[in-house]
Amino acid sequence: MNNLHGLIFAYRSNKDLRELTQHRNTCSIPFGGRYRLVDFTLSSMVNAGVTDVGMIVHSSYQSLLDHVGSGKDWDLSRKHGGLRILPPFGYADAPTGDYYGRMDSLAGVRSYLEDIKQDYVILSGGDVAANLPVQDIYNQHLATKADITAVVTCQSIGEPRSCTYMSTNPDGRVTDVFVHPKSPMGCEAVEVYILSKPLLLSLVDHCAAHNIHSFSNGVILAMKDRLHIHTYQFDGYVGRFHTLGAYFEHSMDLLDPAVRASLFDPRFPIKTKDQSNPSTYYGPEAHASNSLIADGCRVEGEVDHCILFRGVHVEKGARLSHCILMQGTTVGAGATLQYAITDKNVLINPGRMLMGHESYPIAIAKYSKV
Amino acid sequence: MKKECVAMLLAGGQGSRLKALTRHVAKPAVPFGGKYRIIDFPLSNCVNSGIDTVGVLTQYRPLELNSYIGNGQPWDLDRSDGGVHILPPYLGENEEGSWYKGTANAICQNINFIDQYDPEYVLILSGDHIYKMDYAKMLEHHKAAKAACTISVLEVTMEEASRFGIMNVNENDQIYEFEEKPKKPKSNLASMGIYIFTWSKLRKYLLEDDADPNSSNDFGKNIIPAMLAKGEVLTAYRFKGYWRDVGTIDSLWDANMDMLSQDAGISLTDEDDWTIYARTPTKPPHFVGESAKVTHSLLTGGCQVEGEVEHSVLFHSVTVEPGATVRYSILMPGAVVKAGSHVDYAIVAEDAVIESGATVGAAPAEKKEEGWDIAVVAQGVKVGKNATVSPAAMVTKNVKEGAKV
Repeated sequence: MNNLHGLIFAYRSNKDLRELTQHRNTCSIPFGGRYRLVDFTLSSMVNAGVTDVGMIVHSSYQSLLDHVGSGKDWDLSRKHGGLRILPPFGYADAPTGDYYGRMDSLAGVRSYLEDIKQDYVILSGGDVAANLPVQDIYNQHLATKADITAVVTCQSIGEPRSCTYMSTNPDGRVTDVFVHPKSPMGCEAVEVYILSKPLLLSLVDHCAAHNIHSFSNGVILAMKDRLHIHTYQFDGYVGRFHTLGAYFEHSMDLLDPAVRASLFDPRFPIKTKDQSNPSTYYGPEAHASNSLIADGCRVEGEVDHCILFRGVHVEKGARLSHCILMQGTTVGAGATLQYAITDKNVLINPGRMLMGHESYPIAIAKYSKV
Repeated sequence: MKKECVAMLLAGGQGSRLKALTRHVAKPAVPFGGKYRIIDFPLSNCVNSGIDTVGVLTQYRPLELNSYIGNGQPWDLDRSDGGVHILPPYLGENEEGSWYKGTANAICQNINFIDQYDPEYVLILSGDHIYKMDYAKMLEHHKAAKAACTISVLEVTMEEASRFGIMNVNENDQIYEFEEKPKKPKSNLASMGIYIFTWSKLRKYLLEDDADPNSSNDFGKNIIPAMLAKGEVLTAYRFKGYWRDVGTIDSLWDANMDMLSQDAGISLTDEDDWTIYARTPTKPPHFVGESAKVTHSLLTGGCQVEGEVEHSVLFHSVTVEPGATVRYSILMPGAVVKAGSHVDYAIVAEDAVIESGATVGAAPAEKKEEGWDIAVVAQGVKVGKNATVSPAAMVTKNVKEGAKV
């Protein structure tokens, strides 16, 4: 399938994710032991045969660039097309300052949009954990002849204050839209949309001329009666990350085999940056249960209900429960951690004790020493 | 473009002593150490030593090896100039053509490939050893000795020496005699099957050897003795460190078990800045369940472990169900050990299935009994419910429910 072009909005750094977004934007948050959030969107697109993807970035994107590189790990390093990073200030007269919404950012890369060879475009935030059936969504978009297809989930997942909800008629056509309500109303938009390239360009021009920044407010809500907006109901697992608590909760979801089966369907593999780590070694006194553990770790202590990224060391006598330890974390002998998230290369010295709570996990910033 | 040194990796051997494990793949493609295949070691050593042009000579069951190496990207060998090249035997115009007759013949048939790079030196490697080695140091030694050929050697015990090709050297480590598996060894310097030749010299000897119909076209049997006879300078390069030939089931099992040890002399973590690279499928992290008990073992991405695993090496995507036990064993990619079955001292090859209640292998008694050995279940084989696979058994066909082999 070559008639669909991917666009990923990778310019947001959600402040409610606290320490996790100090050094990176939401798309490059490590998730699931070895992935970055953007891997799920990129892989979903590539698994549906999308060959060209533009990634709109604005600030704190160094970590994202390190991760995606030339796009080779997703087979997106191509002679023609492939992955294109779209930084701000792509041309001399480009508007300066932050992007206030998706329409703003699209206006910033308008010349790129004009050059898109495909007839249809899929827009995505790149910050949801879901293995989306993009081919199926695209097929439905063609079959319903909708102007815009919006992917929704009828399980409520996100923070209502940060979400868009839709109610539909029995056919699935959108009848009402609720942007950032107090509580969930109808199905939740995953903020993945398919529309045609000409429509996208006309919307970008319309919004630029009317000083409209937001896609949800300015297009979906404002034009729900004028345009045929159709929902695609996705029943698989969706993780969204508006707060640190949500990050913790969705990470722990991965310990459920049904969630892993949905996210890591072997027919549609989630690809990520290749790194050469050896297998994980378990010491003679190790005890691990209910945990997801990446390659390159050394586990010599006790680990329960944890997610260990690559290269984590848990020394003898350390006891961890309900923790997320990112790449390169070392937990010294005899340390105890509960409900803690350690960012990359954190060092917990021997014997330290750190306890968060399910309702408020503690997060320890990159390169910290405790 | 001219290269100083080109590596030629002999990967055509079947490895018949690995029996059931090389029915579908050539020996260099046999999985090793949880994440690797044997060939990853020489390939990674090349890249880490600064050699960016490698010819891989294939012959036996090349499909899996060819697709594994691909464009060489995992080893950083996807180069516009040089890089990794698969070199199968071929047929020329008006030629009868043949398989590679011997190790020297394999190189001889690819003189044109080597000439393209006009190298000063050629490094000859084989695809059946586990070791980390800086070939650049060996090359320095070769240059300093002004040798025509440098052979890497390992000091072994005098008892072991009669199992190896032995180099007899003078006080400057210059080789004056080569003996294949001598009954009464005069030295303990065993050849590691790693040679550096000055290309102009080797080229000449290869062509002379090729013209001799009685030659078996082998480096050890023909080329080295011919060079010695003509008075060329051959020198031994003493290598110190971990090196294992994994040509037999026992040695393959042993070397895998070494990867669990802290003091085996080789580490697969990149603490020594000598990473061994591999092509690995992207798998999610492995999962250890509620009832799992994993000790002194290696686990790899995509594994699901609910049972007990002890002293074992698990490759990617292995499943160990609740109540199953795996001890002192090697489970290759995709192997499944179902509930309540027991695997002891065994190698279970790719995608083999051990049905529930089955028993594979057994621990050796206090004193190893006659006939005891590692049990092997070949690729894709199914061992039926409650079936028994005895120690030393080599299973290449499905085993029926309740049967004993």
